[in-house]
Amino acid sequence: MARFFPLEVTDVRRETRDAVVVTLAPRDEDRQAFDFTQGQYLTFRRTFDGEELRRSYSICAGKDEGLLKVGIKRVDGGAFSTWANEELKAGDALEAMAPMGAFHVPLQPEVSRHYLGFAGGSGITPVLSLIKTTLAREPKSRFTLIYGNRSINSIMFREELEDIKNTHLGRFNVVHVLESEAQEIDLFSGRIDAEKCARLFKGWVNIAAIDMAFICGPEPMMLAIAASLREHGLRDDQIKFELFASAPRRAKHVVKTAEDGARAETCKATITLDGSTRVIEMAKRGETLLEAALAASLDAPYACKAGVCSTCRAMVLEGEVEMETNHALEDYEVRQGYVLTCQCHPLSDHVVVTYDQ
Amino acid sequence: MTSEPDAATETMPLEDYLAQGGKLTTPENAPPRYRGELLRLMATFVDSELAGAAGFADIINQGPGIKERIAASRIVLEKLDHAERVLAVMGEFGADVSRYANHHPWTARVARDSDLGAARHGSDMRLAVLHYPLQDWLDAVVMNVLMGRAVTIQLDEFSRLSYQPLGDIFRAILPRERRHMELGEEGLRKLLQDKATRPAAAASIAYWQPRVAASFGATASQHFDTQKKFGLRHTGNAELAAEWTRQVDGLLGDIGLR
Repeated sequence: MARFFPLEVTDVRRETRDAVVVTLAPRDEDRQAFDFTQGQYLTFRRTFDGEELRRSYSICAGKDEGLLKVGIKRVDGGAFSTWANEELKAGDALEAMAPMGAFHVPLQPEVSRHYLGFAGGSGITPVLSLIKTTLAREPKSRFTLIYGNRSINSIMFREELEDIKNTHLGRFNVVHVLESEAQEIDLFSGRIDAEKCARLFKGWVNIAAIDMAFICGPEPMMLAIAASLREHGLRDDQIKFELFASAPRRAKHVVKTAEDGARAETCKATITLDGSTRVIEMAKRGETLLEAALAASLDAPYACKAGVCSTCRAMVLEGEVEMETNHALEDYEVRQGYVLTCQCHPLSDHVVVTYDQ
Repeated sequence: MTSEPDAATETMPLEDYLAQGGKLTTPENAPPRYRGELLRLMATFVDSELAGAAGFADIINQGPGIKERIAASRIVLEKLDHAERVLAVMGEFGADVSRYANHHPWTARVARDSDLGAARHGSDMRLAVLHYPLQDWLDAVVMNVLMGRAVTIQLDEFSRLSYQPLGDIFRAILPRERRHMELGEEGLRKLLQDKATRPAAAASIAYWQPRVAASFGATASQHFDTQKKFGLRHTGNAELAAEWTRQVDGLLGDIGLR
């Protein structure tokens, strides 16, 4: 089950007009838990207007900096990132889970490899961690970064990238691609798409020499780049993705308690799966919501049937249910209305349940 | 990079992204239906590895020599390790990992002459073929040979799936599962050097062949369509089964037992 640790904010530095870099310190006893791997992220939680929000941000520090840093870019309408950009200050406390994520490859000091990184906007944060760690710990390896941004002012870590270039002369190369600014060389204007990749791979990047590619940015950019890399001969296991942008946008959940007095022995259950809805008459006792759904030929997901694995998770939109056992859902999920359908019996005469939210 | 939804960033429907070969990388990326299908796939693998290891563990002492017992022990050890790795991913989605490992009697088996078809049986998600009991050492070796071919074909398919942390694990364990298959084939060839074992080996093959074949699932499967939509599968059940049949026919011809 998820465990959160307190972290002290030791510094908040403005990186661009819309982004801050937050330095964090774990308690002495938690240092081990926060011994991250390059490219990993932290998941924070904070309550806004009575609702718990969880947000993940990539660590932008290298392994050898001895610091825990995340970059937080303000997004339109984003409660957490706006708060972090406007109000967060040194001395504050944040809660985070131990680092997670697998956006990295094991480093080997003796090998000489050529890595290629692609970052779009704030997608630079995990890639920066990869760059710094790789150059420090694999002294014979090289890293090329292709970095897309709207304009020169929105480039996060622009100076730090220049410093890295100077520190590791000849081993690090960055190509800035700017969407809304004309540049001397036409190749460096616009978006990083398939056509841009094809042109970059012709003259600027010798794709045949690339051992491993990392991509972090919005979905269309990642797809275009991945397709182009495959077309130019990279295998799937040489391409690492990191995607955060499309966290599921969940509808606000309000449980409406049935006003029917709940006297009947059976319940009318309305169950939605893959966009189609079925209404089932089921017994309140002796049958779970999952069993009722399966009996009605709905291909509802499940595995352990013991309240342990969470495969059968669904959301109750209306009515009341009782969950016998729960080893898998956290309190905040239960408050949002999630249930384990393998453990649920209806209490009210009518329930509305969906596997799609 | 952030998980905060951003109205301003250019984005696209997740199904389109997955259909075009996009990968997901964290539990937070996974929409509810994707999450359910992914967990189901992982549970099937974990339960099959745990049940397979449990069944094989009982047979170790029947190995004719120390080398054979070492090979069988290694297979048991590594299958448990593979289950643990995938279970850890389930843990990131909220599964209670320590309870999960013990929530089913993994050694339980049905009667030898039962016929389960491809249907799930009992309360866990293991493949139906792993509900049948092993009779003796030779029978276990034959089962391992036939199932080993099926597992490597399935893992090759799974290593391309759209949840990258899981695809990476399947890719990493594929060579080890392939080695289990090879150990089985080496063992079987050795046993067959004694001509007297041939009738029993042929009987075991006749017993296991249709049961392993059934583990590829129905030819037309709505469930497969859902998995395919999410990029969790790419090749149809019938095509995978045909590849297995082709490989097994080749092998049986090679050892003179077709």
